[in-house]
This record gives sequence, C-alpha cells and structure tokens, in this order.
Amino acid sequence: MNEYMGIAVCFALAGVITGGMIVLASTLGKKKPSAVKSAPFECGVNPIALPGGKLAIKFYLTAILFILFDVELVFLYPWAVVFRSLGTVGLVEMGVFLGILMVGYIYAWDNGALKWQ
Amino acid sequence: MNGPNVNDMALLLPELILIGTALAFILASRRIETSSLVTRVTVLASIASVLASRWVLGFDYVEGFGGMIIVDGYSQFFKVLIASALAVVALLSMNRIDAEHVRAGEFLALLLLASTGMMLAASARDLLTLYLGLELTTICSYILVGITVEKPASNEASIKYFLLGSFASALLLYGISLTYGVTGTTDFAKISLALRDNDLGGNKILLAAMGLLAGGLAFKISAFPFHAWAPDAYQGASAPVAAFLATASKAAGLAAVGRVCLVAFGSEAYVLSVVLAGLAALSIIVGTVIAMAQTDMKRLLAYSSIAHAGYALLGLVCGTTDGASATMTYAFLYVFMTLGAFGIVIALGDRGETLNGYLGLAEQRPRTAALMLLFLLSLTGIPPTAGFVAKFVVIQSLVDTGQVALVSLAVLAVGCSVVSAFVYLRVAVLMYMKEPQELEPARCPLAVSAALAVAALVTVIGGIFPGILTDWAVAPL
Repeated sequence: MNEYMGIAVCFALAGVITGGMIVLASTLGKKKPSAVKSAPFECGVNPIALPGGKLAIKFYLTAILFILFDVELVFLYPWAVVFRSLGTVGLVEMGVFLGILMVGYIYAWDNGALKWQ
Repeated sequence: MNGPNVNDMALLLPELILIGTALAFILASRRIETSSLVTRVTVLASIASVLASRWVLGFDYVEGFGGMIIVDGYSQFFKVLIASALAVVALLSMNRIDAEHVRAGEFLALLLLASTGMMLAASARDLLTLYLGLELTTICSYILVGITVEKPASNEASIKYFLLGSFASALLLYGISLTYGVTGTTDFAKISLALRDNDLGGNKILLAAMGLLAGGLAFKISAFPFHAWAPDAYQGASAPVAAFLATASKAAGLAAVGRVCLVAFGSEAYVLSVVLAGLAALSIIVGTVIAMAQTDMKRLLAYSSIAHAGYALLGLVCGTTDGASATMTYAFLYVFMTLGAFGIVIALGDRGETLNGYLGLAEQRPRTAALMLLFLLSLTGIPPTAGFVAKFVVIQSLVDTGQVALVSLAVLAVGCSVVSAFVYLRVAVLMYMKEPQELEPARCPLAVSAALAVAALVTVIGGIFPGILTDWAVAPL
C-alpha cells in the first residue's frame, strides 16, 4: 500500500486546496447577483434550448469510416515493429486482416457511403 | 508461448466457413435481390460447418493460437448446436425478410457473423477470446434486432438492447480486469492454477470479479435480474431474429458460463454455485409467473426463455461434470423446441404474434396446431417429448448431489414446471377449444415447413432416445 501513499496525499491536498478556495470565495467574497451572472456558464451557448437544425447523416458516415480505417493503421504500427520475428505467418495474418477490412471498405464504397452529395 | 502457426487456422475451420460466406454476402449485398439463393447458400455453409465441427476436427483436445483457442468435445458440441440453429433460423427467415424489405445479403451476413462469434466463445480458452466472441455476437445482434428499420418498435427494441447490452459488456470487462488483477492472467487454466497455488479462496476482489463475470454472462443468457432486455427485444425484433436470440445466443452464453465456472473458477465452485443457484431460482420463478400475464406470443416466449435459462443453469449449480453435461443436454433440446415454437409464430405470419391469433387454429390448420401442441408440451416438460428429458437430466443432477439446499432447489424447479403448464397449455386451449375468429392464415412456405420438420424431429427423437445426446454431451476438463 505504501507506493500509493503519494497519490493519496496528492488527492487529499488537491481536495483541501480546491475545497478551501471555494469555501473562502463563497464566505468572504462580495456578492452582487444579476440575471446574467446567475445563469450557468456554457461558453456563451444558451444553456436550455431545443435542438437546433438538422445534421446531415453523411458527417456521421464519414466519421465512422474514418475511425474504422484509423484503427486499422494503429494495428499496423506494432506489427511493423515485430515484423521480422513474426516471419511469413505474420505477413499472411496481416494480409487476412487487411483483406477483411477491405471487404468492409468495398461494401461502404459500393453502397455509396463515400459519395458526398 | 509458441509463435503464430498457420496450422492453427485449421482449428477454426467451422468458423472460417461461416466467415467466408458472410464476407461474400457483404461484397455482393447490393446485387442480391431476393433471399432464396443466399438462404440456400447459408444453409449449406452451416451444414458444412456442422460437419467440420463434428467429423473433420473431432472431439480430441487441441489447443491453438498460443492457448487462446481450444477444440474439445465441449466446444464442438456447442458448435454443432449453434450451426444447426443457424441453418434452421435461415430457413425460417427466408420469405419473411423479403416481405419486411430487409436486404437479404446483409441480414444473412450478420446472422453468419453472430454465429461465428458464438462459436469462438464456445472455443475460448482465455477470458479475452471469450469476450471477443461474445461481443461479436452481441454487436451483430443489436443490428439484427433493429434491421427492420421501417418498424418503430424494432428501432426502439434495438436501442434498448444496445444500452443494456453495453452495460452488461462493461460488467464483463470489469470482471475480467479484476480477475487479471488478482491472478495475473486471463488464461482459464492459469487462473485455476493461480487460485489453487496462492490460496486466494476468500479474496474479496476475487469475489467481486466472479460476481461481475456472472452478471455479465447472465445478461447473455437473459437470466433474472439481467433479463429485462429480452421481452422488449424479442417483441420488437422480426420473429426469426427473436428465434435466433432465444436459442443460439442463449446456447453460446451457457457454453461460456459452463467453461468459466468449471475450468477457470473450478476451485471456487461453492461460491459460484450459490450465485448460480440464486440466478437460476429467480429466473425460473420470475419467468414462469410473468409469462402467465402475457398476451403477445413473442413476449410469452421471451419469459419462457428466461425461465428455461434458469432450468439450464441448474446443471451448473451442482458444479460437477455430470451437472455440466446435463446443462449441455438441456441447451441442445431447448434450442430445437424453442425454434419450433418460434417457427409456428413465423408460419402464421401477423396472426402468430398475438395470443388471440391462436383461437381455433386446430379447426383451420390441424397440422400446424398439432405441431404447436408438440412444442408446447415439450416446453412444459411432458414425456415423451425432449423437454421432459431435458428437465429430467438437470433435476436428476441436482438430486444426485444429495445436498439439502440443492434438492430443495430441484423441488422448486419441479413446482414451477407444473405452474408453467398453465402458461403453455393456455395456448393449446385457445387452439383446440375455441372458435376461430380470424381468417385462415396463408399457406406456410416450404422453407418454414422444412425448418419446423427439423425442430419437430429433434423434439421427438430427443424425447424417445435421450441416450444419443447424453453420451455425447461431455463436460470440459
């Protein structure tokens, strides 16, 4: 348990300092409330509003396709590092992996997911 | 640990057949107009997969992929079961998916991939492979439930299933990570060794890990209190999809529970049997009682499947190999009688979905009604149907242990079985003793009739010659 002591102290200090600041600010500070000040701050966006406007589904499709092929690339990096020790089998298995992903790519292409209308 | 070996690929032959077929369907999905050809190909592929599981690979114990995958009697038993259920579901869906404007290529590809995931889960020798297999299954199932996009109920069911399903997957993952934290491995055999050597019996984190794993897996077999998704998902989904979820999916979940309990946590059998006994008893009671109030046929079968998940777990409660093979027998027979009952629902079309649709069916369609009666008797557990044999073996395995708690659990199971007769025979009364109120249903397509014939055959043969199956159901070592 000793090795976690530092983290525990860090958590305790962070809690005490931030808690202390909030308590001090709310007890000692001057208060002049106004309607604008009382509203929850959300970067200038009206906090309560109905969902505005429609978002084209093509953004979603492009994003999901990006994630798909991005993850593929992530798998290629560690494979490239140990490529020599894996030998031919590694090459074949990566070929199978990429082949399956290509099927998905062709499916997306074939069904018009890549068309930006 | 050995490096990768191309020969290991041969161990996954049954899965590779299904994956290859699914990939071909995905590539051609836009050019597949109707379901007739692709369904035939799917049925052939699943038969090839059954043959590969049973006769090409055989039941010898072989490990592959550095101990991630195992091929033994247990895995092959479930692979044969899952692939046959896939073939029956494909037949049942043949005309239905065209009528519901679902693209046949995509539907069957998802069905094939979901089955592949189940087979991998049955073959898993490591918690991570198990998770991967089950996840492949559930992700495909979410889409299958919502695949009839024109029906709002289907979309709603899919979202509900997805939200609850991701919650359950998280439970499973927490369980896996805590197990790894305690034992330092995710390999079943090494977990079992670590538990024995380090004397981790009363470890609190281990208890939490087992609880989380049991919860995550209980969701997959829809055991109480992780059952809430099942009625909504089955009701919203297209009937063939509901049949698939109620049968193959549940069999794969039971395969996973069985191997995790017996192989990985075998030394903690006492704790697990308390957890499983709770899940089983509550599932049986809740499933049976709530099924009595249903007026929708798919919901009724959903609660029935919850109760049956409880009965199937009874074998694993014992923690013995005899108990595990009883559960395997139960899973096998349950799959076919439930497929049969769903098959009748599909054969009757829209009329089959509500309980009132069965009014006076015997007068209009005597053979369909007789088949339904067979499946209902089997679900109740009346001899000489398969349902009797299934219930008999699990209850016998409980009684054989001779422990008071387990014998009283057996008494509870028998009691609920009597109550369940009310649920199932109510449908029989509607069919045989009431006047018909609706027009005669359309003729049943040939593919559905073939699927019903297979289900009926297994239900009858399983009931008369139970020895064939019980010899074959070998528990994992």
